[in-house]
Amino acid sequence: MDISSIILPLVEITLAGAIINASVHFVPVGGAPAAMATSTGVGTGTTQLAAGAGFTGLLAAAGMAAQPGIIASNPLHALLIMLSGAVGAMIMLGLTMLIGQLIYVYGVGIVPAADKCDIDPITKDPQSAFITPGTTGHGIPTVCFVSGLIGAALGGIGGGMAYVGLLGLGFTIPAIAGVLAVGFFFMNAVLASYNIGGTIEGFHDPKFKKMPNGVIASTVSSLVAALILVGMSMGL
Amino acid sequence: MDPTLLTLGALALAGAAATVSGCAEDLESDVGSQSNPNSQVQLGPQMGNIHRYFNKAISGEPVSYGLYVAVAGAVAWALMNAGYNPILGLIVGSGVGAITHGAYSLSAYLGRIVGQSKNFNQPVYMDVISTHMGPMMGHGFIAIFTMLLAAYLATLALGNPFPLPLVALIFGITVGAIGSSTGDVHYGAEREYQKYAFGGGIPVANQGDIDIKAETGIRNGLDSSYFCSRLGGPLTGLCFGLIIFLDGWRTVTGNIIGDIMGADLVIKALLAIILGVLIVIATAIVNRKVEVYARNKYGPYK
Repeated sequence: MDISSIILPLVEITLAGAIINASVHFVPVGGAPAAMATSTGVGTGTTQLAAGAGFTGLLAAAGMAAQPGIIASNPLHALLIMLSGAVGAMIMLGLTMLIGQLIYVYGVGIVPAADKCDIDPITKDPQSAFITPGTTGHGIPTVCFVSGLIGAALGGIGGGMAYVGLLGLGFTIPAIAGVLAVGFFFMNAVLASYNIGGTIEGFHDPKFKKMPNGVIASTVSSLVAALILVGMSMGL
Repeated sequence: MDPTLLTLGALALAGAAATVSGCAEDLESDVGSQSNPNSQVQLGPQMGNIHRYFNKAISGEPVSYGLYVAVAGAVAWALMNAGYNPILGLIVGSGVGAITHGAYSLSAYLGRIVGQSKNFNQPVYMDVISTHMGPMMGHGFIAIFTMLLAAYLATLALGNPFPLPLVALIFGITVGAIGSSTGDVHYGAEREYQKYAFGGGIPVANQGDIDIKAETGIRNGLDSSYFCSRLGGPLTGLCFGLIIFLDGWRTVTGNIIGDIMGADLVIKALLAIILGVLIVIATAIVNRKVEVYARNKYGPYK
């Protein structure tokens, strides 16, 4: 194996880790408070929702990579694999947020309202008057929805890129590449959730400004992981 | 038979199985009070609300469902590779997954409730265990079997290259994330707090003040599944079913349109991606419509 065939997957896997970490910061997650309609966002944990979307994207990316005629080392085909992952993850998160929204509105009877901005940056709707006193918002307003879609797209691209990198390193058996990609995705999603610390509404949330710290952490850890994977691929 | 028709049939069956799976998963988590609303059941005795809810969340719902379905998938995969009939493998695998679920639930309930007995006088009701374990393992079996069937179809007919246990693990984590994000909101914010007026979230000051009286007698987890089967469960099922169906549909339709156009592989893949983006845009538009409806219907709170 020559050096050029190692450098590209190494860069891809490292960059994928950074992208996955960044993606998680976009996903509007409110944890247990959101499940009580006490906090804006989706009512589950950061890692879990990001992983659910990212893994759906990974399935879509792997499905594309497995099509006869698709060669992962071809840049155009690699781009298709990543875009397919992005769309798969966006479909998962888009539908989950939409159905969650239906339950918030029709099942719980609240108005979607963001607490971390007075006016929705996208729709220009005022938010604070629609927040129940004693809560920090509820539901999934448009700004959170759009932020979530961006996060899902980035997560799918990151997962797809890691998968392409693993294929490039010679992990061509899908089972092995898939298991490694799942572990790699979880590693970066967990790192991001440590940085977020519970809940985040999306790109308008003040916590979003902490993203560079998480991205740096993921870049370093992904580089280490990538070096170990290179070692594994060389039979060390 | 035409391979495209076979793929479409497998896709429809996988979507239907996923729909049942999502619904059963959510109702199971309502009976067992898993996931996020469980924090309120956990908090109840500290606020003086001695309850008869089952309480079993000791890890996140996605992780625990990932475990059950991966166990079931691994057993089914082993049986299939040993030459047994795939349907038998799926059934036996799901049975082992359901038993794993039962063992987990029992130990989680005893651990959680006993932990609260000493300081907050929450009793361990043995009849709650005996009445709830059956419905939980039953709902869990349906969820695991249908998810495993969808995973089997994904590997057999829909071109997914991953082995069955890995697809099962991914589906388990995904369905847990969906159930936790959608259906459990109905169980938590609406069902557990029905003494408060509909339409206002649950202010932090009211947390832990869960309803412990049902329409008849003392409320338990079985009442929750009855209530949540009206909205939370079916919508969770619809969500997972639509994800499995639409994600596969865009690929199949991209191929069909590409064949009609005489296009190559790259164009077909691009068509599938464009169709996926259109689906996503549609969800964003519907979400906005629902938001505007809620703003007009419920109005400002202040």
